[in-house]
Amino acid sequence: MNGTTAGRELTSAGNRQRTQPNVRRSPISIADTDQLKQLLAQCSLGDRRAFETLYRSVGPRLHGVALRLMGRSDLAEEVLQESFVRIWNNASRYEAHLSAPLTWMINITRNQAIDQLRKHRDRPLADIEEQALVDESPSAHEQLNSAREASALNRCLDSLEGMQRQSITVAYFQGLSCSELAQHMAAPLGSVKSWIRRGMERLRRCLES
Amino acid sequence: MNYQTPTLRRALAADYAIGLMPSVARRRFERLLLDDAALRAELAQWQEHLTSLTQALPEQPVPERVWHHITARIEPQTLHVPEKRPFWSWLRITAAVCTLVIAVTLGVIYNRDSALYSATLLTADARPALKVEAHGDYLRVESLSLAVVEQDRSLELWAIPADGKPISLGVIPPGGKGRVELSDAQKQLIGKPIALAVSLEPKGGSPTGQPTGPVLYQGALAAR
Repeated sequence: MNGTTAGRELTSAGNRQRTQPNVRRSPISIADTDQLKQLLAQCSLGDRRAFETLYRSVGPRLHGVALRLMGRSDLAEEVLQESFVRIWNNASRYEAHLSAPLTWMINITRNQAIDQLRKHRDRPLADIEEQALVDESPSAHEQLNSAREASALNRCLDSLEGMQRQSITVAYFQGLSCSELAQHMAAPLGSVKSWIRRGMERLRRCLES
Repeated sequence: MNYQTPTLRRALAADYAIGLMPSVARRRFERLLLDDAALRAELAQWQEHLTSLTQALPEQPVPERVWHHITARIEPQTLHVPEKRPFWSWLRITAAVCTLVIAVTLGVIYNRDSALYSATLLTADARPALKVEAHGDYLRVESLSLAVVEQDRSLELWAIPADGKPISLGVIPPGGKGRVELSDAQKQLIGKPIALAVSLEPKGGSPTGQPTGPVLYQGALAAR
């Protein structure tokens, strides 16, 4: 995304270092969109070696997402496993003109995680899990605050009112439905819906401006 | 519900992208997505924006067992069966091979019309949806769990050769069971390494000669 690259270039402009956005990440920089696109195309033709390369390069990233959503390493591993099976089976359905390959894969992982979270939540929450849920919410927030990369999204999130921002980020990382979110935030359903709707509209206007 | 007003479409796409929809609504929205490229674009835009939320998440090393589980899932035929009794399994394999040889011989002798190639086409979440058998000059298709198609739609079968340009094999009979006759040109394709795919098209098949709708099912055609 433009905002991100621009931000990274800005911060490194003062340093001697040349712009190397993903030095930490190995073996393949996950910012290398073209390479990921090519790997996905090869996967859709049944190329197992390409699939393994893809797995080695984005696995840790998707694992991070799965772990954030599931909160338990065994469940996160299951989600990760299922996500890669889906990526393999659905590689031919990836639409390169619509979204970046990493976005597509992250969303497969999130959808998988959300389905699992829903399944676990369909039975009444045990006290421990309830506690875990409550503990989760500030960390969703800290996570955002701690790494204030100058991305367009973060800039725009800052322009939202507190409750608008919180309802969007909590829902994003916990896979809560609107009514669960209302319960979680101890607010009326109507208010939560309008926070989300107005927040997202404002976010969109900000991102498109 | 009316999905046609732009505001509502945008709001629904946003809800889906955040993950706010209850499961039933999620599934319904996913069905809408299949046939609505504009809605897919709307959703992709939201997802692209929201994905930056995950940028700050640390990468997590993945234990090696995950890869083993994945490969076992995508290649179930190579699953290791414990070889406890080599003699018995040898005997069993021999018996199976003999049976196969007899069956094939009988098949060739008594039923010249037996299928030469077959494919099982899978849905996006890898459920079997359609069985296709290639006979000499026609395909026999049989529905395993085909989606219900609206009156003004047809399911069209495509062959995708190695160069990737789909070639229409014809429209699948309503109900998903029956014969699809092959022309001489189409017959040439059978036996080459091709994948089969089914797309959702206007009634009677794609007007352009190339798939216009989403691909619902796919699978490779292999020798029986």
